[in-house]
Amino acid sequence: MPKIGVYVCHCGLNIAGVVDVEKVTEYARQLPNVAVARHYAYMCSDPGQRMIQEDVKKRKLDRVVIATCSPRMHEETFRKAVAEAGLNPYLLEIVNLREHVSWAHTHEPEKATEKAMALVRMGVARAKLLEPLEKRKVKAEKSVLVVGGGIAGIQASLDLADAGFKVYLVEKAPSIGGRMAQLDKTFPTLDCSACILTPKMVDVAKHPNVTLLTNSEVTGVKGFVGNYEVTVIKNPRYVDEAKCVGCELCVKVCPVKVPDLFNEKLGQTRAVCIYSSHAVPKVAIINPNSCLRLKTKNKDVCGKCIQACDAKAIDFDQQPETISLKVGGVVVAVGSEVFDASKMPEFGYGRFKNVISNIEFERISDASGPTSGKILSPETGKPPKALAFIQCVGSRDKRFHEYCCRVGCMVALKQAILAREKIGEDVSIYVCYIDLRSFGKGYEEFYNRARDLDIEFVAGVPSEIHRASDGTLYFDVFEKGTNKLLEMRADLVVLANGLIPSNDVARVNELFHASRSADGFLLEAHPKLRPLESSTAGIFLAGACQGPKDIPDTVAQASGAAAKAVDLLSSGEIELEPLKAVVDEDLCSGCRVCESVCPFVGVEMKPEVVEGKEQLRAEIVEAMCQGCGVCCSACPTGAIKMRHFTDEQVLAQVVAACTEAEAKGGS
Amino acid sequence: MGLTDLMSMAKPTDESRKKVLAKLKSKGFLNCFQCMKCTSGCTALKLLELKPHEIEKLVNFGFVDELVASDIIWTCATCLKCVERCPQKASPYHVIVALRNMAVEREAKIPEAFMKAVSQILETGLAEAPQKVTTRKMKTCDRDSLKLPKICAPKESFQTIFFKALEER
Repeated sequence: MPKIGVYVCHCGLNIAGVVDVEKVTEYARQLPNVAVARHYAYMCSDPGQRMIQEDVKKRKLDRVVIATCSPRMHEETFRKAVAEAGLNPYLLEIVNLREHVSWAHTHEPEKATEKAMALVRMGVARAKLLEPLEKRKVKAEKSVLVVGGGIAGIQASLDLADAGFKVYLVEKAPSIGGRMAQLDKTFPTLDCSACILTPKMVDVAKHPNVTLLTNSEVTGVKGFVGNYEVTVIKNPRYVDEAKCVGCELCVKVCPVKVPDLFNEKLGQTRAVCIYSSHAVPKVAIINPNSCLRLKTKNKDVCGKCIQACDAKAIDFDQQPETISLKVGGVVVAVGSEVFDASKMPEFGYGRFKNVISNIEFERISDASGPTSGKILSPETGKPPKALAFIQCVGSRDKRFHEYCCRVGCMVALKQAILAREKIGEDVSIYVCYIDLRSFGKGYEEFYNRARDLDIEFVAGVPSEIHRASDGTLYFDVFEKGTNKLLEMRADLVVLANGLIPSNDVARVNELFHASRSADGFLLEAHPKLRPLESSTAGIFLAGACQGPKDIPDTVAQASGAAAKAVDLLSSGEIELEPLKAVVDEDLCSGCRVCESVCPFVGVEMKPEVVEGKEQLRAEIVEAMCQGCGVCCSACPTGAIKMRHFTDEQVLAQVVAACTEAEAKGGS
Repeated sequence: MGLTDLMSMAKPTDESRKKVLAKLKSKGFLNCFQCMKCTSGCTALKLLELKPHEIEKLVNFGFVDELVASDIIWTCATCLKCVERCPQKASPYHVIVALRNMAVEREAKIPEAFMKAVSQILETGLAEAPQKVTTRKMKTCDRDSLKLPKICAPKESFQTIFFKALEER
C-alpha cells in the first residue's frame, strides 16, 4: 500500500485568502492511503521543504502530493526537495490551488474550497499510480549557431567564443553590424554607434573560435537539443572573399546605379559595391539583379569590374554553397524591422519627400551617410528651419501594432538633440508626443538635456499632414498643456516609426519550432523567469526578435542567452526529461498518424519484418520528444503511452473527479 | 467620495455613464488614451469648439449629465475622421450619437439649427434646400435662372417612408 503525504500551501494569502486550507487539509487526511496531511504558509520556503523531507524520511512516505501554485512555477523545486529526501522525484504530484482555484474564484470562497478538495482528491488518486522514472543523459556538441549578425548576434558570439565554444555566426546581409551599424549616435550617452560597434565587428570576425558566414541563410534544421544538424546556404558574392582587398576600384568603374539599401535608399550605389564604409568583411559584392552581365547571362557584356580589379577577385562563376553544421544549441538574433509609415496615409510618408522615418534621419545625420552627416531636407537639400517629430507611428496603434515600440521616444530625443547641435540655434524643433517614456538608466536625464536645448514638447499628435505649394508641411495639433489648437509649419517631419517583427521571425518559427507571441515576435519560455530561452530546448533568444529593444537591453539579453547556452552545453552532456512517449510495438499498426501529428518531428517510422511481411512501426526519438502527448491521444490502437501521464493515471483522476465515494474506496 | 468638478460642483453619475455604455454596446468606443489626434483633426473644433477627446474623458469620468444638456454634442459634423484615425479604435462619434439619443429621451433642448435640418430632411428628403444666391455684381439667381435642372427629391412622402423604415428596425 502506498503511503501518501499531502501538503497544502497557503501561498501567503494568495491561496489561504480564498480557500479554507485547514478544511482542505482535514479532508485530505481522511482520504485513502494518506498517511499525513499538513498545511503551511509557504511550502516552497526552506522550513516548508524541510517539513516535507522529514516526513518522507521518518514516516517513510513513498508518494507526495503538494497542493500549491502552478507546476510551471515550482514543480522543479519540489522535485529536488523530495529527491534530496531519497524519493524518486517523479513520485510527486502537484495540485494547482492558486491559478486554478483561488485566483480564478476569488469571490466564491466556499465553492473554491469545494473545488480545492476535489482537486486534492484527484491528485491523491493519481499519485497512487505514479511510477519512478529516471533522467537520461545524451552527448552534446560544444558548438553554437548564432543566427543574425546584428549587435545581439555579435555580442552572443563573442561571449560564446571567449568561453571556448565553436561559434558559427550566420548573417543574411553582405556585412555584419545589423541595425546598429545604420545609427549615427546612441542614446543616452550620444556615443557614436560606429565607434562602439565597429571594434566588436572586427573582433568577432577575427576570433579563432568564430566562423563568420555572411550573405548566408539557414535553410534547414534537423536533430534535437545538443545535436542539431543545420544546413546553411552561402549565396554567391561573385567576388572571391580571400582575394578582395576592399579597394573599391570595381565600384568606381561599374556603370549600373542602384538604390543604396544601407542608406535606406536615400543615396545610390553601384551593382558592385561594398555594403557600407565599415563593412565586415570588407569585401565587394555584385548584385545579381542589377549587374548587366549577371542579368543578361551573357559573358561578353560589360565586365569592367574584371578589368579594374588588380587582385583578380571578381568571379562570375561562383555558385551557391551548401554548408552543413553540427551544433549543440542555437542563439536566434534575427532582429526586427522598421514600420512602413506609408500604411498610414494621413501622414503623407512616401508622398511627401520631406516626411521621413527615424531610421532615414539616422542615415542623414551619419557622417558616412548620403549627406556626409549634414542634416538636410530631402526636398530642398537645405538644413530645415523648423523640424517636427511625430511619435508613436505604427505602434501604440490598434490598427497596426498595439505594443509600445520602446525606442521611439528616446530616438526622437536623441535626434532632436543632434539636430540642435548640428544645425544650431536657427532651427525650431518640436516633438509631438502622446506619452513621453524615458524609463531607462540615464534616460530621464537625457529628456532634461533636450529641454535645456530649447526643444519644444507638444502634448498632442496631428490628425493629418498637408503640403503647401512651396513644399512646406503644415498640420494642426491640439495641445494638452495650453488647451489650444496650434498650426505648425515645418520643412522636415520625422516620424517615430516603431519596431515590428521581421519576416525572418516567421522563418525562424518554421525552422526551429520557436513559438511566437500575439505581437508577432518570438515567444520566451516564461515572461519573467525564462526570458532568454524559446519554448524549444536549446534554442535561445537575443535582441529585438523577442520584442522591441534598445541597444543596452539587446546586449544584456545577448550576453544572457550566451551564458544560458554555455550553461546547457558546457559539460558536453545533456540530461533529458523522462516524460516521453513510448510505443507498445505489439499494438502499433504502423498507421503513421502519430508521425503526422507530432509537432517536433519526434516520431520515426521503422520497417520491420513480421511473419515474413514487412510492416512499419513507430519509434519515438527520445531526444526530440517534448512530451506534449499529442501522439498518445491520436493513436487509434492505444499503442502510444505517455510516461507520467499514463491512461491509468489520468483515468484515476477522472474517476476521482466524478465520484467521491469511489475515490474513497481505495483500490 | 470620488470626483467633483469644482468649476460647476458637478458630480459624476454612474447611472448615466452606464446608460451611455448600454447604448454603445462596445466599451471599446470609450477606450481613449488622450492622444488628442481626434481633436487635432476635428472638423467642428475651429468654429464650434468641439473637442472629441474631452467628450471621451468626461464620459469615462461619468460627467455625462452636463454633456447631455449641452449644445456641444450637436456640433459634430459626423465626418468620421476621428473613427478612421483613432489609434485605439475608440470612437468619439459613436459616443456623441449615444449622448444625442439620451438628450432626446430626456427631452433636452436641441439647438434650433439642428432641428431645422432635421425637419428639412423629413419634409423634402434633402439636408439642404436649394437657395437663391446674390453674386458680386448684385445679381440674384436661382437654379431656374441658371438653367440648372430641378433637384430630384423623393417623390412619395419621404416622412412616411422614413418612419416606416424606422419602425421596421
